[in-house]
Formats: sequence, structure tokens, C-alpha cells
Amino acid sequence: MTYYCAVCQKNWNYRVEKCIFCGADLHARAATMHTVVGFTEVNIPSVHNEVVPYFAYVLVDENKNKTIWKSFQKYDIGDEVDVERDAGGRHMVGVVGTGLLGSGIATYLIQRGFRVVIKTRSDQSKASAEQKITNKLLKAHTQEQTQDLLKNLHITTNFADLHLCDIVIEAGPEDLAIKREIFHALSSVCKEDAILATNTSSLSIFEIAQATDRPDKVIGLHFFNPVSKMKLVEVIIGKQTSQDTNKTVTKFSKQIGKEPVHVSDSPGFLVNRLLLLQINEAVHLLEENIATKEEIDMAMKLGVNHPMGPFALADFIGIDTCVSILETLHKTLKQDQFRPARTLCEMVDSRRLGVKTKDGFYNY
Amino acid sequence: MLPLGIELGCICSTTSIMTNNMFIIGTGRTKFGVLSQSLPELAYEAMYNCIVDSPVPITSIDAIYVSSFLCGPLNGQLHLNSVIASLLPGLNIPIFRVETACSSASAAFIQALYSLERFSTVMVVGVEKMTSAAPSRQIEALAMAADHDERVNGLIFPASYALIAQEYLSKYNIKHEVLELVSFINHKNANANPFAHFYEKAVSREMIRNSRTIASPLNLFDCSPVSDGAVAVVVSKDDVSERDIEVVDSHLVTDTISLTQRDSLTSFKAAKLAAKKAYETGKLSPQDIDIVEVHDCFTISELIALEDLGFCKKGEAAQMVVDGDILRHGKLPVNTDGGLIGDGHPIGATGLAQIYEVVQQIRGEAQGRQVNNAYVGMVHNIGGVGGSAAVTILRGVK
Repeated sequence: MTYYCAVCQKNWNYRVEKCIFCGADLHARAATMHTVVGFTEVNIPSVHNEVVPYFAYVLVDENKNKTIWKSFQKYDIGDEVDVERDAGGRHMVGVVGTGLLGSGIATYLIQRGFRVVIKTRSDQSKASAEQKITNKLLKAHTQEQTQDLLKNLHITTNFADLHLCDIVIEAGPEDLAIKREIFHALSSVCKEDAILATNTSSLSIFEIAQATDRPDKVIGLHFFNPVSKMKLVEVIIGKQTSQDTNKTVTKFSKQIGKEPVHVSDSPGFLVNRLLLLQINEAVHLLEENIATKEEIDMAMKLGVNHPMGPFALADFIGIDTCVSILETLHKTLKQDQFRPARTLCEMVDSRRLGVKTKDGFYNY
Repeated sequence: MLPLGIELGCICSTTSIMTNNMFIIGTGRTKFGVLSQSLPELAYEAMYNCIVDSPVPITSIDAIYVSSFLCGPLNGQLHLNSVIASLLPGLNIPIFRVETACSSASAAFIQALYSLERFSTVMVVGVEKMTSAAPSRQIEALAMAADHDERVNGLIFPASYALIAQEYLSKYNIKHEVLELVSFINHKNANANPFAHFYEKAVSREMIRNSRTIASPLNLFDCSPVSDGAVAVVVSKDDVSERDIEVVDSHLVTDTISLTQRDSLTSFKAAKLAAKKAYETGKLSPQDIDIVEVHDCFTISELIALEDLGFCKKGEAAQMVVDGDILRHGKLPVNTDGGLIGDGHPIGATGLAQIYEVVQQIRGEAQGRQVNNAYVGMVHNIGGVGGSAAVTILRGVK
């Protein structure tokens, strides 16, 4: 709201009633249209602006008044922005599943001003998810800020509570039957134009989409762990995924500060197909006594500049997850190089699954 | 439409017989209390009312001094001179912020007077927006007027004045009842001042006596409230209308920030020195003062002020209060607007509110609280616990 003197043609950004220059009554002018005329992406955190990066925009309204406005969403010069709607979170996002990635994605999104509804299976997992997210927030925010951020979070055991979400990100177990069940449920409760995204790392988008009433609105949106640190998302285009869905999800990814890569729906997509092959091959090297696991890890760190070596990474991902992805890749691509190495399978049998069981290639 | 001010004031061509060439030519204020306006909105309202009251338009103002004690800690807003500039789009004049704790407004006023060597017409605006912060933040911020290390050791504002009160009451064998009477009189005066924080509050002696202890021996009613508000005045080196008030003198004197470095707790040396200088300049004595506004941030400081300003001997202020000398129609009307206790204490505006009141009284424009025959008035404004003290003498030009 600005206050305007028609006599002096002066403007006030403060709520004042009379013109100090001429005594005339000032007119309050509300703005309904805001266009971006300048912006900067801010990368250093400060009190009140803990979450970075964010964008500080200069907006101009229909009265030619300029205002400063903050958003986590990315707009370009000339874009018209909906100040009211954006301020409360442009999208309401649903997240299905409260595992590592589910809770990571939810935490990341509420820190960026989105309202998030998490669907979980039981009251018990509901409580533990809330605790997990609270703890994550407390690492970066004060108690007070955390309480504020949590106001944007709703955890439910009821699919129907996702009905207002603009986009739902499914982060359940890597099991086609379970995912199809979830997507079937989603398509019966979510609003018509809601986009249904899956965080699958290897399953077919097309096959998941078949369980819904809107295969054109089903897409893959693959985050990487830890969500707060890894800039990449794979946007996986299924056979029936529409251009609009692709565009919206690409924009959404950028708005939340991620860099999307677009991948056709194929086994393992991009990252996992490359990565799991490398892990599998590293295990072969170990089995053939070519080098020790410590040396292989060190070689990939110091020689290729990877932040961690393949064995440390396999432990971090989870040996069972590695084997499950490799099996999918092997089955679908029918290439022998993807057959899970014997050692990996033995580790799964003996429940040495990596970081999560505190025992894998290394002890934790 | 004519520039605001021109049509409202009476421009006269009186030649002054005064020698000082410092005049207050316009005053304006907001209500004090728990207000909905923001800090800039309060400042604007006071400036607007001041320009309406003054015979000059805003475009005749050469410079502005703005005072605010806590805009930084409580409102997260510094660079206040530029905020004031935003309220006066297109004016682009020199504006400065002045801060000396609770005497900030007097300090800004004095800076404005100094600046009349260079400028003709200068505005002073004092503003404080305090009530939007949590009470514990308010208390912490207010205590920033004290030495930092002592504050961390628990010496918040009421505690400092409580220590002073403890010593004063025992030294002169005075009962707390006298302080209750000081509070009662200030509240009664506030009931006659529509701008006052406690204009509508009916206060009884029982309420005062039974109020909770804040810092012994001071009760809630011994303390001035936390208020929002703003006041503005225009000073000029020329007298331009019959309503002008001459500034005889205005002095600010400083002292150590810590009470531990003072010889006496029951008198403020800085206030005594400031008063002495002001009397000397005006060739005046306490007997010449018709009306006074004293800095009653706590009841005890009203007693000390009356003594420091020479209206009575040490330890005799209580008798003045008991005898009714300080009532509106007493020998020396004190705090006719309700004082800090009744009118309110929006720190950065307080000293100017005191000046505002004396100006209205001398002009004869104080309406329902007008005193008889006010010609010379005094304002006593303390920063911290006497680390700063400003005394101003005003006189009618009629």
C-alpha cells in the first residue's frame, strides 16, 4: 500500500494520512500487479534470512511504485509475480514417505517457505518423522525459528489430506508394486491438475504412471542425499509425461534452488547407471585382490577428485539399495556388467548394509 | 492550495527586544501510549501537527535533528535521519540523529539551537516506538543507558533508581507515602491532558499503595510507563509570530555513566550544573520560574529534580509535595501534562514533550490544564541516572 498526494504528486511508503507539504488528504493506493524490474540472488545467511540462497526483487506496481520483495522462487526481469500467493508458499507440496529422502525433501522445502503435507503410514512413524524434521531444523535454526517453520508442516496418515497439494513427491520404498499402490491412491485424492512425482532411483515412470488416472502428470523427480547439500535433481520424462508437466517441474526445481537434468525414462536413469556400475566394478577390483578398499577409495578421491570413494559411498547409499538398483539394471538392460558382485549380495544376506546398520565395507 | 503553515499561522513583523535570537515557532505531538502506528508514522504525525501549528511551511525547514534512543535495539532501524527524509520526499535537507538516552530529545533540541548559527529555521523531532517489543527486551534495551558491565550485573533502570530511593528515603527520613503522592498528582494531571498515556486511567491512592514492588522500595506506580509517541518543534532565529516562545537558554551537562563514580546518589551534579548555567544566562533565579516540567522517570527523581533545580533545599522536596506547592494551581506547578509517569515516556520524544507542555502553558493554549500567569518555564530532562542532564528555560515574547 502506498499513499499518494494528487496535488504534490508525492508518494509515501508509510501509512500517513495528510500531505505535510500542502495539507491535502492522501490517497491509499493498493497495488495488484507486481512486475520484476531487478533482482539479486543472495548467498550469505543473516538473522531473519537464514535460508540461502534467496532472491531479493525490486518490483514495480501499476502505480509505478517500487517495492522490495523476498522470495525463494526464481523469476526473471519482466515476470509478473503474485506477491500474496508466493508469500505463503507458491506451491503446497505433498511428500509421501518419511525415510531419509522423504524427510530430507520435506525439511528442505519448509525452509524455503513451502507448505508441506507429509503422508506417512502410522501414528508412530508420524511422531518419529516430526522429531526427525525438528532435529534437522534445529541444526540450522533457533528454537523460535524452528517453531515458526514447523507451522508450514502437516504430517498425516491419511491420503485425503494431500488433496490441496499442487505437487506430490512420492519417496516410498523402491518396489514397483508399492509405488503403484501409492500412485493409485494419489490419483483418487489429489486435485485434477496436481502433478504426481516419484523420487524413484531406478523404476519405470511409465509403469508407475499406469496406476493413475493422469499418466501425463506423472514424472520422476529424483533428489540426492543429503537433500540440503546436493544441488542435482534428475527430472525423468516418462513415455506419457506431458510437456507442461515437464516445464512445471523444471521450473519448480529451479525455484527451490536445484539444478535439473532431464533424462528419458530408462533403467537407472543417468546418475545411478554410471555410479552403480562404478561401485560394482570397485567391488570386482577388491574381489580380484587388485587393491585394498582403502586404496581404491583413496585413488578415486585423490585421482578423480570424488569427495568419497566407491566403498564409502556404497555404505552411505546402503548395500541393499545398491544391490536392488543393480538387479533392476541387470534385469532390464540385460548387460552382465550390472550383475551385482558376489560380495555385495553376501553383505545383504548377512545384514551388513552400510552406515544404517553401522557395518558395511567400513564400521561406523 | 497554499503551502501548509502559511495559511494557518499569523506572520507578524514584531521586532524582538530579545538578545538570544532563539525561538520556538511551532509545536506538534502525537498521543502517547500503546499505539498502533509504526515509528516512521509517529514521527510523521508529530511533524505534520508541528507544521500545522507553525507559521512556516515544511519547505522552509533548513535542517532537522531527530532523536530516538532505542530505534536500533527495539525497532531494528538505524540511519533514522534517512527514514525522516523518506517522510519528506523531495526535501533533501541535512538531517541528523542525536542520542543521549532519556535526554535524547533535549540533546537534539540543543543541537538545533546550536545550528541556528548556520540555519534560519530548524525542526526537531523526537520519536520512540517501544511497545511492540517483548517486555524483557524493553527492559534490556532501556538498561543500555547504564554501564554495560553493571547492567549485566543486574542494574536495570528501576534498580538504579531504587538504590537512589533507598538512600534518599533513609537519609532524609521520608516515607514511601510521599512518593505515592507524587505518582497520584502526576496521574491527576494526566487526566487533564488528552494526549497523555494515562489520560483515561482513574488512579486512586489505594491502587498506588497496593501496586506490586518492581525494585524495592519502588512500586509499579513509582515508575513511568513504556510508551510510544512522537513530538516535533520548530526553532527559528527570528520571531515570526505572537505565539513564539523565546528560548532563554538550554544546556546539557554530562557526568559518569556509573553511579559508583559519583559522590552523591541523592543529587545529580549534571542537572545542578545545567540549571546553574541556564539561570546565569537568563539572569534568573528559581523564584522567577512560573512552571516546570521535571524528569520523573521514577517518583524519586521528581523530588531530586526539585532540589537540584533550586526550588527548595536538599531533603525539602517532600514538603513541597505534601504542601501542594506542585499542584496545577500551587506555587510552582510541576508536570502539568502528567509528567513521564502520567503523560508517558517514549524516550526519544520525552524532552520535547516537556518543552511542548511549557510552550502551551506560556502561550495560554493548555486548555483544560492551563495554569495562571505562566511566563517563564523550565524543562529538566535526564539521561540515564544523571549521566546526562539538560535544563531549558523558555519565556513568552508577548
